[in-house]
Amino acid sequence: MTVATPAALSPTPEQLAAWGIDPAWSRRVRIDGADGRPVNWHVFDTGPGPRGTIVCVHGNPTWAYAWKDLLTTLSPAWRVIAVDQTGMGYSERERPRTLEQRIEELVSFCRQEVSGPLVVVAHDWGGAISVGAADQLQVEALVLANTAVAKPDDVAVPPLITASRALVNVMCRYTPLFVEGTARMTSRQHRAALRAPYRGAKRRVAVRDFVADIPLRPSDISHGALERCGENFAALTCPILLLWGAKDPVFHDRFLRDLRQRAPHADVQRFADAGHLVALDKPIGAVVADWLHAKASRQSTVARDARFSDVLATVKQRANDERPVYVGPDGSLSWAALAERSRQLSHVLRSDGLSKGDRVAVLIPPSPDLLVAVCALWRCGAVPVLADASAGLGALKTLMRAQSPRYVLGTKLTLLLARSLRFAPRARYGLFGSLPGTLDCGGLNAGDEHDDAVIASDDVAAIVHTSGATGPAKAVRYSHGQLSAQRGAMNSLVDRDPDSAFTTSFAAFMLLSPLLGKTCVRPDFNINKPSTLGFDELSKASQRARVGAAWLSPASARRVVATAKGRTLPIPLVMLAGAPIAPSLRRELAAITGGAVHTPYGMTECLPVTDGVQRVANESHAGVGVGVALDGCAIVIERLDAPGHGVVADDGWGEILVSAPWLFDGYEGSSSADVASTVMMDGVRFHRTGDVGYLAGEELFVLGRRIHVIDAASGPLASVALEGSVSDALANEVAAVGVGPKGAQVVALVLEREGSLRLAPPAMSEAARAALSIPVAAVLEGTLPRDRRHQSKVDRTTLSRDVSNFLAGR
Amino acid sequence: MLGRAVVEGLVQRGDDVTCFQRRPSASQGKDVLGDIRDADAIASASQGCEAIIHLAALVAPRPRWRDAYDVNVGGTTKVLDAARDCGRLVYISTPSVAFDDKPSVGSAAEVARYEGPDAYARSKAMAEVEVLSRRDLACVILRPHLVWGPGDTQLVGRIISRARQGRLVLPDHGRVLLDTTYIDDAASAIIAGLDRSDDAPQTWGRPWVVTGNDPRPLAELVAGILAAAKISRLPRSLPAPVVERIGWVLGRCWPTDEPPLTQFAARQLSVAHWFDQRDTQRALRWQPMVSVDEGIRRLSTWFQEHDLST
Repeated sequence: MTVATPAALSPTPEQLAAWGIDPAWSRRVRIDGADGRPVNWHVFDTGPGPRGTIVCVHGNPTWAYAWKDLLTTLSPAWRVIAVDQTGMGYSERERPRTLEQRIEELVSFCRQEVSGPLVVVAHDWGGAISVGAADQLQVEALVLANTAVAKPDDVAVPPLITASRALVNVMCRYTPLFVEGTARMTSRQHRAALRAPYRGAKRRVAVRDFVADIPLRPSDISHGALERCGENFAALTCPILLLWGAKDPVFHDRFLRDLRQRAPHADVQRFADAGHLVALDKPIGAVVADWLHAKASRQSTVARDARFSDVLATVKQRANDERPVYVGPDGSLSWAALAERSRQLSHVLRSDGLSKGDRVAVLIPPSPDLLVAVCALWRCGAVPVLADASAGLGALKTLMRAQSPRYVLGTKLTLLLARSLRFAPRARYGLFGSLPGTLDCGGLNAGDEHDDAVIASDDVAAIVHTSGATGPAKAVRYSHGQLSAQRGAMNSLVDRDPDSAFTTSFAAFMLLSPLLGKTCVRPDFNINKPSTLGFDELSKASQRARVGAAWLSPASARRVVATAKGRTLPIPLVMLAGAPIAPSLRRELAAITGGAVHTPYGMTECLPVTDGVQRVANESHAGVGVGVALDGCAIVIERLDAPGHGVVADDGWGEILVSAPWLFDGYEGSSSADVASTVMMDGVRFHRTGDVGYLAGEELFVLGRRIHVIDAASGPLASVALEGSVSDALANEVAAVGVGPKGAQVVALVLEREGSLRLAPPAMSEAARAALSIPVAAVLEGTLPRDRRHQSKVDRTTLSRDVSNFLAGR
Repeated sequence: MLGRAVVEGLVQRGDDVTCFQRRPSASQGKDVLGDIRDADAIASASQGCEAIIHLAALVAPRPRWRDAYDVNVGGTTKVLDAARDCGRLVYISTPSVAFDDKPSVGSAAEVARYEGPDAYARSKAMAEVEVLSRRDLACVILRPHLVWGPGDTQLVGRIISRARQGRLVLPDHGRVLLDTTYIDDAASAIIAGLDRSDDAPQTWGRPWVVTGNDPRPLAELVAGILAAAKISRLPRSLPAPVVERIGWVLGRCWPTDEPPLTQFAARQLSVAHWFDQRDTQRALRWQPMVSVDEGIRRLSTWFQEHDLST
């Protein structure tokens, strides 16, 4: 059989070199075509690689070039093969192919060219084809970028596709509109390569056929094949990574949500600023390489906690208990009411269409309604997404959008904001009370009866967000098993007196009351401004119930001390979160409450880690002691100079790594953050906290944030360790920052003193220098900037920038 | 001053040193008097030498371009010719050759591309480029930064005389970080450079910034020097742009070639200048021994031993 002339076209070595592709990778393969005749495919094949084989499948109207970053980054460790499908790229032009036939041809190619297991990477309609082929191949791992395996019912066919379908010949074949439109979705440098194989209407026939084959109605020829793809996808057990450009007008976030629903175990890397051609827009090669590496080393994850019990166990047990679970200025809620109202709300939501695994944004401030909403979502098996407004509306919008929640539950005010600022396009809104167009969560006409969803330990329980006080806020995912373990750990901290209540200045902790089985007393203060919680507010709260423990942020604690005016308020146990805490604050608080004041260490990703009384280290121990690790929690210290390659020697300091059964599940939508913060040691998953410190015996000492380590030519210096000796010597708060390029930084000290930055008087500089044994370039004074959220931690990032500019003369 | 310190260091370790300069050096080396613009004089002075250390330069706040060029560029070309016969050269440049109006914060030795109005920096930049173009020579190029110490008439001398006159003004309270080189360290670095011109080809053909690796705010350095000289009068401060403007006016209108300030000098004192020394120290196998504080102590002792009234 003769090969038609256009099919013989190949990219020239000069073209390939200009596009940044190794010409040696370009080759031709003859495979069994779906119509019984052999067909000539063009592929990029990087040649043998020790790690395995990756097959990349492009969409329409792109070609193997779309995988340039993957080809160049993952070879030669991997053999990367990027194919041009029949009629596409530089492969032979043939008669139209249906989805079914394309699947068949991909299977036939892989069987012929690859022996053993393979990783499949696909984009756009290549995704459906790959998923369709997956059950006939030995797929080790699957990476999908902006694709779909089904059209969610509530999504209209994208106008771009409808238009292309109606005018398919004009849009896709006779004019290069479709090809050009796609090429223009990415940066200029890639466009020539994307256009090259599709010059001339004859070469665009398959582009048209591809669009014409998209099943929009059940009667369309490929409808059945796509349905099978959807089923196939849900049945896949291999690791899956979804790479997602959020600015794709065709495969938008709603499709991502659909994929996640079908494969809840999939990891997600969402790029808020990338579009449809995410594989060209972003360095996906590095992301995929890291992910594959992490997956390989994570094979042996620890067995899940066998003692798992449902988060709602206590709520269900106490369904007839009329004692309060929540007491606040806005009323109280009994355990019985919580059980009943959450049951009703779950029926309303389930009748409305909420299903297990759905993300639901909860924009309700701490109140009885918040507890009811969260418990109802757990009854449905849905996942509450909690973000606090103190991050700012812009940040809140970014966080909410990244989760593409199916529902938003809120108050009138928050729903209005969410709507007008478009926090969650395509979501359904729900409100306690009635508002036209929103779901009434009041439950007056509760829907049909539904049984509570069956929850497994691995199911996602909640998404919370890091404060953003020490970096961009990240979405932190917890499974039900982890929440259950956390309940145990928290109880071991505060549950000395089971019948007493607790109070707190943290919104998230108020949610823990149904889990812990303890009454939460909410003081009357602005939850977004912890510094509005003073002695009077705390005192009023403790009149409402017998408070056995208080979890306070440093800002609240300082306010309580400042407003006490000699009065006392007995509280047996105060937990001060957020190290480092000034020892004076702890002493004064102990004097006011007459109880123990603990300063546990922990973070959103793993709470709590230690318990103990924080103490300022003595001479040999710099930093802040935060107690010893809780039962079940492991702490190791990783070397700064060799991350991933070892633990520090006995007396060294480095990054603090933690592991615990209640360690979070992962960062939602950011597999790269996940990979970067995760270390496997002897099959145990550890989390890099971003804090540095050391262990002295059992006790953990914290030396501040890793990003604040001064990277001097003589070696790394922990800022907190330097500050301790200076502030002791001068009886003045001080911050140490590094100035200059990494590896050659010099130390600058800033003494806390009202006013803008200036050089400290000579006597002060001399005294400050005398307190340290290392060279100090400059001693300044000025008001230290604080983080806006807690008003406690010195905002070193800002300070370091200001000091650098000051000393540079900028 | 720096030349004498180098000679003393060399003589002490037993090297045979010839000093070529205009006036008697009062050092322990053998003096040959002559002008750097005189090629024959250089050739005869360097006869039989194994290496040349080229420190001669015209340093003045506002020299005539012709003079700066003849001495700094022309003189260097002639030294280069002479060094071809000896085989080795240590060329002393200055970080100013790479000054680009912006702060240097822990920078490495940037390319000598200064083309501004300052005749000294410009001629030194041209000279360094000329040295770099001689690929056939075993040549180590050092850029010592702000060399100071006892007997220094440039930095220490000027600060003291200005302060005595009450005319010492610091831009923005002297906030910027500068690193400096104590005279002994500058001399030992040059001697290390001389040795590396023999045994470490990887150090040839590129410039190395040399400093004491102890950056301090300008105000602190000035205060230290004034305290060592027992001058209680404190420098005044003006906003950096004002100082620069004054420098611009003085640089243009001052009748002699030593205006008290030029725009170039004002700008140099308004932005940070300190350098990453890791590569230099590794390459030269050299380390500074005198911190700023120790230098000030030595300077203070020196002032006590010498008559201050002059």
